[in-house]
Amino acid sequence: MRLRIIAAASIVAVLGVVAATASAGTSRQTANKLTVWLQVDAQSGWPDLVAAANQQFQADHPGWTVDVQYQNWGDHLQKFDATIAANTSPDVIEMGNTEMVKYMAAGAFADISSFKGNFANSANWLAGLAKSGTYGGKLYGVPYYAGSRVVTYRTDLYQKAGIKAAPTSLAQFMTDAKKLAATNAKVKGFSPVYSAGTDWYFAMAFVYDFGGSIATTHAGKWVGSLDSKKSIAGLTAWKNFWQATSKASPTSDENNPAPYNVYSQGTAASIIGPGWFSCCVGNKYKTTTAQFVMPSHTPNKPMPGFLGGSDLAVPAGSSNKALAADWIKDFTSTSNEKGLQAKGNIPNATNLLGTSVNERAAARSWFVPAAKHWVDVENGNILRNMLSEILTGKLTVAQAAQSASANITSVLNQS
Amino acid sequence: MTVRGARKQLWNAVALLLTVIMAFPVFWMVSTAFKPDDQIFSLTPTWIPLHPTLAHFGAAIHKPYFWADVKNSLIVVSVTVSIAMVLAFLAAVALAKYRFSGRAIFILLIIGIQALPGAGLIIPLYVVLARYHQVNVLSGVIITYMTFVIPFSVYTLRGFILGIPKDLEEAAMVDGSTRLGAFIKILLPLVAPGLVATSVFAFITIWNEYIFARTLLNDGAKQTLTVWLSYFLGTSRNTDWGALMAASTLTAIPVVIFFLIIQRRIAFGLTSGAVRG
Amino acid sequence: MPYLLILPVVLVMAAILGYPLYSLGRLSLQQYGLFELVQHKGKYIGLANFRSVLHDQVFWHTLERTIVFTFANVGLTMVIGVLLGLLLVRVSTWVRIALTSALVLVWSMPQVVAVEVWQWMTNYQNGVISYVLTELHVGDYYHHDWYGSTFSQLSLVTALIVWGAVPFVAITTYAALSQVPRELIEAAEIDGARSWRVFFDVTVPILKPVLLILTSLSILWDFAVFTQPFLLIGQPHLHPGNYLMGVYLYETGYLGTDFGRGAAISVLMLIVVAVLASFWVRRMVKQDPAT
Repeated sequence: MRLRIIAAASIVAVLGVVAATASAGTSRQTANKLTVWLQVDAQSGWPDLVAAANQQFQADHPGWTVDVQYQNWGDHLQKFDATIAANTSPDVIEMGNTEMVKYMAAGAFADISSFKGNFANSANWLAGLAKSGTYGGKLYGVPYYAGSRVVTYRTDLYQKAGIKAAPTSLAQFMTDAKKLAATNAKVKGFSPVYSAGTDWYFAMAFVYDFGGSIATTHAGKWVGSLDSKKSIAGLTAWKNFWQATSKASPTSDENNPAPYNVYSQGTAASIIGPGWFSCCVGNKYKTTTAQFVMPSHTPNKPMPGFLGGSDLAVPAGSSNKALAADWIKDFTSTSNEKGLQAKGNIPNATNLLGTSVNERAAARSWFVPAAKHWVDVENGNILRNMLSEILTGKLTVAQAAQSASANITSVLNQS
Repeated sequence: MTVRGARKQLWNAVALLLTVIMAFPVFWMVSTAFKPDDQIFSLTPTWIPLHPTLAHFGAAIHKPYFWADVKNSLIVVSVTVSIAMVLAFLAAVALAKYRFSGRAIFILLIIGIQALPGAGLIIPLYVVLARYHQVNVLSGVIITYMTFVIPFSVYTLRGFILGIPKDLEEAAMVDGSTRLGAFIKILLPLVAPGLVATSVFAFITIWNEYIFARTLLNDGAKQTLTVWLSYFLGTSRNTDWGALMAASTLTAIPVVIFFLIIQRRIAFGLTSGAVRG
Repeated sequence: MPYLLILPVVLVMAAILGYPLYSLGRLSLQQYGLFELVQHKGKYIGLANFRSVLHDQVFWHTLERTIVFTFANVGLTMVIGVLLGLLLVRVSTWVRIALTSALVLVWSMPQVVAVEVWQWMTNYQNGVISYVLTELHVGDYYHHDWYGSTFSQLSLVTALIVWGAVPFVAITTYAALSQVPRELIEAAEIDGARSWRVFFDVTVPILKPVLLILTSLSILWDFAVFTQPFLLIGQPHLHPGNYLMGVYLYETGYLGTDFGRGAAISVLMLIVVAVLASFWVRRMVKQDPAT
């Protein structure tokens, strides 16, 4: 008898929970709210700029609030897919510039070409960034910010090794690295220039520096080109450089360990990475750290740096597209872009560029093939595997390049 | 010392060694949370920081939404575990004590659910919950977690009920009162250790769940603590290891407290079993 | 009466999982990628997804690898867990408290945190495990790349999973053992039975229902495990040579946004794990309720 009451009560409880929450949900729909997805980098790096944009937006559109929801790079796309399926997309979403093409090709974003004139400095957007937001001649993504790659180094160690000025060519850098290795021979596991084994952003810079490329289009189809003569020359140069300068694990990636952590342990005289690396080199070496541009194998030119960055797009499922475009305009205003620049990023327009090492490095840049399935090449770790096979000696440069190239061709040409 | 005594000392020694080995990663996490940054990254490890710092804990607590997310996790866990334990216990009684047609199917259903690859369900689940406005609200997460926790609770509890020696039940059932009510009254104390172990497991599973909470909750203010924790790692910028370890330590504390509170019940069950036997 | 008792559970399951399960089945028969997701409409292609998966060498290699992995994990978890449970009964009270506390602390760690700590302990630059092993003269583990080979990667994942799973088994075993009347054991021991005989003849039969459940559960969970391999090995180091089924499903279905194929893989995983666990499950279903 008592048991029956308990059983019945639990059924009622369960149904009650569902009913109560179902009705509570409806109030969400009526509020005037713009939902924005930004990466956590903004939350910890420049929350003031986000606040400024929100303030401007709310002043222009009384009665509207902005709900900024922060995302992680690791799973923000999977979450985005879920919202597309359920028709609960945000109104604005930050996308990595290499992530854009796949989603543009699938029609996931709204065409914001008509708003282009409103965005600050749109006539002067960095070519590399602007390209990543354009598809079929239409604008889908607004450049947000970019970053290139520089060399962060220990001024004291370089001085001790007798290196008077930043190297102006790759050959010069190799010689300097030898000097650094000699003067620090007593330090166990010391790297004159620490870079991860599978840091493909760094390795591909060599490929493009030597005139090679990852993939090109021929008659509407993609063809992997890492097995071209020039690409192989670049990869070989990279291999020689890496083996002479880095004591990282041949299978390590550039996030794990973070190069600046290795630097802070005192086992690296220089590290390769984004300009903001100087933030995190540890207290011991804060005052003896500076940066220079990675030199090309051609003297007096910078090695092309990977122009990583983010775009802001409006999902096709948003019901507030014009307002979303307006928020983007507020967030990428000239003053905000200057704010981003002050935090060590590259702003989105050429007329805003300064002369920091980071921005000088961006003078020569390379970018991934603008292919729908490029993300699948990245997720499949094709380039990383190629690099670790080369470094562990499992395959020769030519063999590894050929196998990777064939792989890339088949992945990029999927339907 | 008797042979028995010596044997016991040997087991004690083995157990202590295993304690150290098992707990080492936990120790390392807590120790790292108190270390200043240079000791965290130093090439020779510092076992116990001589100049511990609370800076990481400060950084962790001041990360946005910490207290809100603690509250959310506590709500989600307590509601889910309470309701799930009741429902699961009832179903476990049915399975253990009754023969009814459809019994086998019910068991298969319950086990089958455990066999579902969680990753495959994320998007369809999100879609159905969104339809009923259960996205970005705690109740959606609560209902989802009940489906995770109930199946194994049902047959774990069933196992405990079946494991009770028959004569104990029969000896206590001389009352003559209605079968089921008395049965439950007698059963509960005997199954107490099992209920406790199961609710601890439910608590921990829910407290630590990440993937579904991450997908279903978007607002920083509505998320659970594990999602909050993931923000330390998701950035492409500097991962604050010290703060991450401090935040992890904080996240583990409620579970430990919960276990400390209820672990006396396991001991109680042990002694009561001896008395009744 | 029993139907009333199970009704709440059935209601909850059906309400939450009904649509997702139906959707999973339907998706597996459709071509459903990112384009179809945006359009909210898939293209019906019958069993083509299944055929494609079953013809893919990656599927078969991954399946084989995952089955071996599952048995290794379940075996280690159950053996170590039960032994720990038995140990808990035999030690002094204060030692029992210490060991139980350690087990609970391990158990209470969120998986994401445990992976981070383990990664930290085994990192190439200054991993404390490498340091300790070198100091104990087990070998030279300076700058040891714990993630350099597939075997090493999966062994570490196994160690992590077993370490995290053992507490539940140990504590549940201990709780079940506490229901074993002490006199039964003492009576057998007085009769001169050796401890192994006592264990198998007295303790195991009482533990059996619990052991069956724990083993079935472990098989189900370890077969589909995703979080630990994905985070510990790290997405940049995953490739078909070290995929486990859970990772393979995620990489194909989610990262590759091929939801139809992912659904087909889910269905196949369900079938395989049902077969794997069927022996244990049949034993469970056969156990008659006392009347």
